[in-house]
Amino acid sequence: MATADQGTVNEGSAKQSTTAAPANRWGDDPLFKPKKRLTSGGLLALLVKVILLGIIDAVAILAVYILVGKGDWIAAGVLVIVVALVNFVYLRPGLLPGKYLTPGLFFLAIFQIFVIVYTAFIAFTNAGDAHNSTKEDAIAQIISTSQDRVPDSPSYTVQVLKQGDQFGLLVAEPGGDLSFGTNEQPLEEVNGPPDGWDELNLNQIIRFQDEVLAVNVPISDDINDGTLRTSDGQNAFVFTSSLEYDESADTFTDAETGVVYVDDGEGNFRAENGETLTPGWRVFIGLDNFASVFTNEQIRDPLLRVTIWTFVFAALSTLVCFAFGLFLAIVLNHPTLRGKKVYRILVILPYAFPAYLTGLVWAGMLNQEFGYINEVLLNGASIPWLADPWLARFSVIFVNMWLGYGYMFLVCTGALQSLPDDIVEAGKVDGASAWRIFRSIKMPLLFVAVAPLLIATFAYNFNNFGVIYMLTRGNPRFTDTTLDIGATDIMITMVYKVAFGGGGGRDLGLASALSILIFIIVTVVAIVSFRQTKALEDIN
Amino acid sequence: MKVNRKSAIGVGALIAGSMILLGGCASGGSGDDSGDSGDSGDSTPITVWVDIERKPALEPVAKSFTEDTGIEVKLVTKDFATVDQDFISQVPTGKGPDIIVSPHDKLGAYVAAGVVAPLELGDVADGFAEASIQAMTYDGKVYGVPYSIENVALVRNTDLVAEPAATFDEVIANGKAAGTEYPFLVGLSPEQGDPYHLYPLQTSFGSQVFAQNADGSYDASQLVLGDAAGEAFAGWLATQGAAGTGVFNANIDGDRAREFFVAGKSPYYLTGPWNIPAISEAGINYAVDPLPSAGGQEARPFVGVNGFFLSSKSTNALAATNFIVNYLSTEDAQLALYEVGGRPPALISAYETAAEADPDVLAFGAIGQKGAPMPSIPEMGAVWSDWGNAELQIIKGEGGDPATVWETAATNIQGKI
Amino acid sequence: MSENTEPTAGTRRERTATQGAVLGAFGGAGVVEGELMGEALKTEHRPPVIPQNRQSFRKWFADKGWRHIVAWLAIIFALFPLLYILSASLNPIGTLTGSNQLFSSISTTNYERLFNDPAVPYGAWYINTLIIATVTSVATVFLCALGAYAFSRMRFRGRRFGLATLLVLQMFPQLLAITAIFLLMIQISDVFPAIGLGTHAGLIMIYLGGALGVNIFLMYGFFNTIPPALDEAAKIDGAGHARVFFTIMLPLVTPILIVVGLLTFIGTIGEFAIASVILTDPNQQTVAIGLFQLVSGFQSQNWGIFSAGAILAALPVMVIFLFSQKYIAGGLVSGSVK
Repeated sequence: MATADQGTVNEGSAKQSTTAAPANRWGDDPLFKPKKRLTSGGLLALLVKVILLGIIDAVAILAVYILVGKGDWIAAGVLVIVVALVNFVYLRPGLLPGKYLTPGLFFLAIFQIFVIVYTAFIAFTNAGDAHNSTKEDAIAQIISTSQDRVPDSPSYTVQVLKQGDQFGLLVAEPGGDLSFGTNEQPLEEVNGPPDGWDELNLNQIIRFQDEVLAVNVPISDDINDGTLRTSDGQNAFVFTSSLEYDESADTFTDAETGVVYVDDGEGNFRAENGETLTPGWRVFIGLDNFASVFTNEQIRDPLLRVTIWTFVFAALSTLVCFAFGLFLAIVLNHPTLRGKKVYRILVILPYAFPAYLTGLVWAGMLNQEFGYINEVLLNGASIPWLADPWLARFSVIFVNMWLGYGYMFLVCTGALQSLPDDIVEAGKVDGASAWRIFRSIKMPLLFVAVAPLLIATFAYNFNNFGVIYMLTRGNPRFTDTTLDIGATDIMITMVYKVAFGGGGGRDLGLASALSILIFIIVTVVAIVSFRQTKALEDIN
Repeated sequence: MKVNRKSAIGVGALIAGSMILLGGCASGGSGDDSGDSGDSGDSTPITVWVDIERKPALEPVAKSFTEDTGIEVKLVTKDFATVDQDFISQVPTGKGPDIIVSPHDKLGAYVAAGVVAPLELGDVADGFAEASIQAMTYDGKVYGVPYSIENVALVRNTDLVAEPAATFDEVIANGKAAGTEYPFLVGLSPEQGDPYHLYPLQTSFGSQVFAQNADGSYDASQLVLGDAAGEAFAGWLATQGAAGTGVFNANIDGDRAREFFVAGKSPYYLTGPWNIPAISEAGINYAVDPLPSAGGQEARPFVGVNGFFLSSKSTNALAATNFIVNYLSTEDAQLALYEVGGRPPALISAYETAAEADPDVLAFGAIGQKGAPMPSIPEMGAVWSDWGNAELQIIKGEGGDPATVWETAATNIQGKI
Repeated sequence: MSENTEPTAGTRRERTATQGAVLGAFGGAGVVEGELMGEALKTEHRPPVIPQNRQSFRKWFADKGWRHIVAWLAIIFALFPLLYILSASLNPIGTLTGSNQLFSSISTTNYERLFNDPAVPYGAWYINTLIIATVTSVATVFLCALGAYAFSRMRFRGRRFGLATLLVLQMFPQLLAITAIFLLMIQISDVFPAIGLGTHAGLIMIYLGGALGVNIFLMYGFFNTIPPALDEAAKIDGAGHARVFFTIMLPLVTPILIVVGLLTFIGTIGEFAIASVILTDPNQQTVAIGLFQLVSGFQSQNWGIFSAGAILAALPVMVIFLFSQKYIAGGLVSGSVK
């Protein structure tokens, strides 16, 4: 226990440092005036720092070399900046907080911040299953799927021949004749493989497959009769293209009907009558995704109810988990309680099982007719735990408590153990009862330590997709909307169902935009609660 | 900039030293890389995505392909629930697989995302059951080679009911006469219903989800769910639900239905081949019956076809096409896949061989031949959801007039596709 | 009365004053010993006497007995759903919640299949999971401790903002995380295949991206409870900041280090969404990935094997918790300052 002497010493040095005001390079706090020169810790620390930094730099330079070799300038540039920063932080004397924070921040920046930036990027595009890739890919795919096999044309056995860097097909016609042709030269009858052309076996065909797949031999002088192609190196068929791509005009024209498909600026080739070609491609659409939240009344109307429920769910879940976890931690915190270790392990067991599995067990137990709760515990009652809107909401919070109290229990147990005993002792010495000590000393200390944790748990439950989806899928559905939104839906499950479950596959752009909106809401709430709980107030 | 001199010098020296070392390794390494792609020798392997259940089936097939052609086949297990989404996401990056094993109802989504390449099967297609090739077709083009067909049927506990029945009413009568707790079992979902299992009963009223083209495929632009036949089905469904006879109980989910049947609590169970192993292991004497008609017309179930699809950005397309079209379509391969999977093979000759040995395969397959493949349009997710919810409400007796509930759902669905 | 009794790096004088204010607000109410609510029942002022039997039972009950009752009730509540899992793991053909008759058939088929079925390399999965989870937790604890030390003991511009930002960043809804991370890993694989797609190192790096979040807050709070007098004493003796960190701070905050490590361990074992995208070779995969694949098939879930696997996977957590109890049951702060 700190004694009065120490207090005096402390005051003394505090006084000293405030009057001395040296050119201090270790943070800004005068209490940490070093006695030695910087690069504190002596030779060992210096060695460790040099080796680690050297390795990082060497690896980084190698990586930049490879990236530049591939022409990936952005990634190379980013890497150079990051490594330069790291070097700056560690080589410059001072910047002590930086030195301690950099390792963690490094991973955070790469894996967490990148995800956020990427999501923001996608939110401004129309990315999704129907607009999955680039325009080049879409064009290539449209061309490839527009090759129609000429009906009633036979299947030909072919051999692939090669001369230099030219490839051709030796075709065995059904009658027994042989023909040969290349991309430039239409099929003509031959008696055998022409001179100078080598046959390729399967392995060689595979090695040159890009060229072999590009072989399109016209079967006659008239290109409209079709071309012969092989896709496996052994069989070939006659194809005609139903769509022609005009590179200069950037349009597709239907060979049969003459309909022209033009790039409509929104990621599709569109004809005048509105028909589009699949697939589309990804383009920027600016704020359209964000606007749709407010303009699409299917989303807008239930949004308020879902938002309110999300807040309530997150707050109640957090509170209930914390209360129960804290209660158990206190109960089992007695120093001489026998079997304490066993109790603690058993009590924390629910947390050690995957929530997916245990959530499903609860869903089964809550089944209205056959679940254990109704059938056995309540003797055949028929309470619609998951079907009635309010009961479903209660059930969801209850199961979430079962799933999450272990976390709070762990934290509170650690917290209770780490509370400084000197204050408690002082309280006892001053004559406070145990309950008073708890209420006025331990609880406040605990709360200040745990408050940010509660805020973080609130945010976690705000986005707790798993529990809702597993238990009820958001049901029971609201009856006044055609979208699949229900009484237990929270914002994140609604986003998932609207963006991923609607027609046309997953709409990643919309999902990203909604995620960002949710993030903004959560951030505002978090900042406000930080202020309220003064969780950061001691940082003064 | 103030930099600690000692540290800086030390770091610099270390960098120089490491650079020499690493540079040497790198150039050695990249030299090897550039050397490889040009030479003969190992060709790039074909990567196949498959879920953990079907992987054992593919292993012998892949091995013999490698023996015959020298091309290596890499089997990668993926989580079945997300494999289709992962495929769509990863193909454009160039790191996707060459081949994916997938049920056919994802084909529409794959085509819309541009991630599968059309395959020309040629004469190979003739050897397959027509429904299976239809399932592999989207918008008139074939995209895959099928290998198994699965559909539901009526499984009967022969100890409780000796003879098959033709109509649904007879089935229920038999079930009641058997004196068990439930006359009939089908696994539904208390959250979202199960239109897939109830579809044969729906088609027996002449009601379908989409209009069928001449070749049997679905015309996704014509939703016929809400027609008069559909309303008739809805009305009948209500009479069998909670407000009526109680034959259909939404609280009995797939798990429970199986447990009850295995415990002998019902003589009839509408399910698919996936539950047969559990039933036979439990020692139940069972028979596979055709689906009973409830509305007078033939009961035709949905058919699910599993097949192999080729990625549109495969860098090894020629080898992969060889594997799929020329190898996986042979009777040996189809039978090998059947041995492990237990589903009726899609290749007709393989099916006949399998059916000779296994009467279950014969029975399921015969029923499947009358069925139609599930629609594979990308919008099916929304369709299943609303459709299932409507059936759930009707079965529970909620929402008022069943015909109205049905119509509302049909209108909603129409608006979404 | 100020709620803010948390000791800061300010002077001890301040803190004592605050304490006094806090305690002065109540009256004393009698002698106390032991802890908390049990003792609330006892308000007498008598000095302890040698207890007689009747008295001691009441005392024992008031002090500890009721705790046993509560503990057992809590255990029943906690473990009951887990009985379904245990029952499913022992049932060769059963479903998860299909029947309320638990333990209707007992056999170890599922457990055997875990180790004998070549399609289910559970042993490899288990080892992979242990490696990944252990490395991730140790690294996470270390990174967070470093950061918490900085936030707690150093004053710099943007400190409050930085701490709040770290917490807020982790609140981002991660719907698109998987796509983004996959793209990132492709890039990394192009440069350094050894830490890219399909490697454990790559996966661990991804997990470390989420390390600085709530955990750093937890640690920050506990670093703050350590009186700066300790630091000062050490520095006066000539210790540098690093030595203070390693030899003084870390041992003192061991309980929270263990807690954070354990939480990270549990979280990593159960994580499968990202892991299943990164690890595709069955021999590299983790238990979570492998088991989930077993139950995600269409209509044919193997709940028995899944349950068996889940039970075995929960064992390391229990073992670690058992061994770490003596660190968590601390009181290590007291006595060190003397």
